[in-house]
Formats: sequence, C-alpha cells, structure tokens
Amino acid sequence: MSNPTPRGDDGRTHINSRLMRESLQNKDVLSGTDSERDLQIFPDVSLVSIGGQSIFDRGKDAILPLVAEIVKIKQDKTVKMVIGVGGGTRVRHTISIAVDLGLPVGGMAQLVGAMEELNAILLNTLLAPHGSMPMQRDHFWDLPLYFDAGITPIAISVPPYHFWEPPPDHGHLPAHGSDFGLFTLADVLGMKQVIFVKDEDGLYDKDPKKHKDAKLFGKITLTELMKQFPEDNILDQELFHAWKNAKNLKRIVIVNGLKEGQLTRAMRGEDVGTVIIKEDARG
Amino acid sequence: MAERRTIESTLSGSSMTGSKETLDYRPTAVMPDVKVVKIGGQSILDRGRKALFPILDEIVEARKLGIQVVLLCGGGTRARHIYSLASELEMPTGVVATLGKYIPMQNARMVQMLLAKHGGIYMLPDDFEKLPLYLQMGCIPVMSGMPPFGYWEKREEGSRIPPHRTDAGVFLSAEFLGAARAIFIKDEDGLYTDDPKKNPSATHIARITAKELTARNLPDVVLERVVVEYLPRAQWCKELQVVNGLKPGQVLAALKGEDVGTIIRA
Repeated sequence: MSNPTPRGDDGRTHINSRLMRESLQNKDVLSGTDSERDLQIFPDVSLVSIGGQSIFDRGKDAILPLVAEIVKIKQDKTVKMVIGVGGGTRVRHTISIAVDLGLPVGGMAQLVGAMEELNAILLNTLLAPHGSMPMQRDHFWDLPLYFDAGITPIAISVPPYHFWEPPPDHGHLPAHGSDFGLFTLADVLGMKQVIFVKDEDGLYDKDPKKHKDAKLFGKITLTELMKQFPEDNILDQELFHAWKNAKNLKRIVIVNGLKEGQLTRAMRGEDVGTVIIKEDARG
Repeated sequence: MAERRTIESTLSGSSMTGSKETLDYRPTAVMPDVKVVKIGGQSILDRGRKALFPILDEIVEARKLGIQVVLLCGGGTRARHIYSLASELEMPTGVVATLGKYIPMQNARMVQMLLAKHGGIYMLPDDFEKLPLYLQMGCIPVMSGMPPFGYWEKREEGSRIPPHRTDAGVFLSAEFLGAARAIFIKDEDGLYTDDPKKNPSATHIARITAKELTARNLPDVVLERVVVEYLPRAQWCKELQVVNGLKPGQVLAALKGEDVGTIIRA
C-alpha cells in the first residue's frame, strides 16, 4: 500500500484495498472474499447445550444427576467445554403473551434471553463450587484463561439479534433462538462439536412423544438428513439453514440427558444418540 | 422420571421449530411516526464536509418542522479495508461482522458532534427504549446502522462478507419501530440497472417491487440483498426509499414524505 488514502476522481476518499471503490453488493466482489475454509480458533473445544424444556423444566430430579455427570467429566483437566442452556416453558409463555399483545418480532427477540439466563444462573450456582463462571456475551478471548484455570464458562445462548430480529420466513415468531445461537458460537470459534442434551435418545423422524413408531436417526450426514427433514424437529430450523453454508462445524450430537453416561460418551467423541456430520466441513 | 413443569399458554405444547404455527397476531406499531434515515458511509460520509454538511442542514430543518428523525450511519471505505484484510486471513463471517461494527460507530460519533448544537445525541444499538424521551425533547438521535449480530452473523454462500450490514440495520430498525418507510441517503438518484459509477449506460429505476427487483437478478444493487429479501415479509416497513444526498432538497423532500429517488415496495 504505497498510497494509503488516494483521493478518488469520484469525489470519495478510498483506502487502497481489494474492496476499495467496490460495491459490496456485487456478486463477483463478494465471491472474491471467499475461500474453502474459515479460520478455526478453538478446535479442541466442545460446546454442550442443555435443554430448557427437556431438562431444566423437569426440575431437580433431571438437573442434579446431569450436574454430577458434568463434575465428573471436568475431573479430566484436558477436557475443554463451554456450556449453554435453553429457556424452556418460560420462553414459550413470554412469546405467547407477546404475540397476544402484538409486539414486533424484534421486541419478542429482545425479551426471551432473560428466560434462558435464569437457567444459566441456576446451573452456575450448582457448578460454581466445582469451577464454573458465566461468560459475558462475546468475551471469547478470555476462554484460554478459563480452560487453563479449569473453569467451565457458561455462555449466553440466545444470539444478540434483539430488536433487529429479521421478519420471519413464515409465522410470527423469532427464528433465531438458543439452538441457533449456540451453533453459531461453536461454528464461528471453529469448535470440535456441539452436543445437545435433551430428553430423548436423539433426533427422530417424528415427535417420539406423540408417535410410538417414530424412528431414531443414528449417525447421518447433514445432506442425508436434509432429504428427510423431520417437520417437528427437536432443534431450531434456523440452525440447519445456517449449517448448510457454514465451513467449520463438522459434528452435532443429540443425546439423552436423562440417561447417565450419554453426555460423557459424546464428550469422548463416541457415536452416541444421533450424530449428524457435515462431510465438507473442516471439523 | 420427573415430568416437565409446563406453564399453560398458546405455545406450551409447541416445539417452536415447526412451520405449522397458527396464532392470532395483530401487530402493534411501536413508534410509527419516526423517520428512520441512513447516511451512507462510502457514498456520503467518506466525501466529508462538502457532501455531509448540506444534508445535515436539511435534517435540522426537518426536525424544526417537527419531523421526528433517527439517523443511522454506514461504514464506508474503512469498513471495506478491514473486510479485505480479514478475508485474506480467512476470518469467519462472525469475526468479520464484529470488525464491521466499529466504523459505523465512529461515523455516528462524528455526526453526533456535528449535530450536538441542534440536539444530536449518540445512541447505542439497544437504546430504542429511550427514543420516546429523545424525540420528545426535540433531539436527533444518531446511531450505528450495523445490526448487533456480530459473532452471531450467518455466513452466506460464496462470500465471507456479513450479509446484514448497515442497510439491513436501517430496515430492521424501521421495521421494529413500525415505520412505513426506511430512507437511504446515498450518492445516486436511487436504483439503476447496473452500477452507474462504472457503467454509463445504466438506467434509473424510479419505482419497483422487491419481487421484480429480485427477478431481475442484477449483478449489482444499491441496497444489501437481504433487505430486498426481507421486505415482502415485513409487517410495517413496506417501502425503501433511496435518495441522492448530493442533490439539494432531496433529503428534506424525502423526510416530508415525498416520493423522490427510487422507491422499492414490498
């Protein structure tokens, strides 16, 4: 860059760069910024997401055994994990009132995070004696310090779309919930895997709570899954939309948190519950 | 095993992930009288005093007429510079989007300093709840146009530039506030069949629907593509107006509700 700030002949001042003078809407310009891969920042970290409805709303009997299992997993000091939580029934109640009031979708998105945070506080209260801390929104650069000190960070799971939640594709509800938020966190930081801890053995082709003949997916590629995408899904649809274009995250596991040992096995990299693999991701 | 303790509501049985939701929704507009206005980064702010001062004069005049204006600022050439470096380093889109937050914030602070004597007040992205106060006091709130998605920005196929930038932030702000139109001050008369700075035979489009615009599949458009994609789904903000801030009178006309420049409808 010999001349850092040329005064353009079009009256605008440009800084010399590949995108100088370019419209960032131009398709050719946009494709020039792309490559086969994204930088991976924390490739040895697992993100564990604990369900709101599926685990927390069941209370003590579901929460305490899972906390005990996490404490046990933490005894291996080489294991690196970040935990996030869902909000469950209180999120649904918040949104149902907000819909009745006619609040804009951005208003709904702004409100729901508080309900997830309550579960995050509960979890941290139980895990703190064994080393855990709530992580501020995007304080990712503290993560090496957390891991070094044996502290498990509890991340904010709802993404900061807030008042800017885009109008949804269909219906009236915000599309960017906690599943999407935690997925994106794992992908942008180039993590090893996301493990969703729910109250079913994994992902089924139909809601197993309503259909006795529902079939469990074992290990499946994202491409295969998208061909037979279950209408009633245990995870946010937006997560799958975003995963299609993602370059980093290779592995999502869905395990049953009501069955002792499933999370531990998933953390070890074993194929347990439903394992979804994105073949062309860097992983 | 312990049962789920569920609060009864219209959504209590819902997985909230399906597409079969049928709810009675009668939307309420938050602040429908507010004019949500973007000042372009590369198109206006990077041109400096010559371009910006006359625009601010017209905005102050509109404010004196009682028109409620919220200004959002674009990024411009410094944003392109950091995007370029970050792309070379293969930064994930969420990192690029986070880098992209800083320049519109600088620009908003510059505009606030210029407007301070006329009630210009710098506003953080999550401060919409304080807007009623600012506007009742006769202030001109100024903020960054960048949505707060940051690290949570989605990757688009074939690009690592964040798809939601300051145009998207302006549209989404207008939609949240319940404004019928979002106004974009740029350095062109609006939409053209191609980039008029590079292709002299490009022709002006005064009026177009989002659907028609998408169908044209233009190699280049004056606004971010996601905005055109979202427009038909909007509850409130069903029009985007692009005006030429370099032509005297256009900004004030737009703020008075006149159809100048290009209008893209839902």
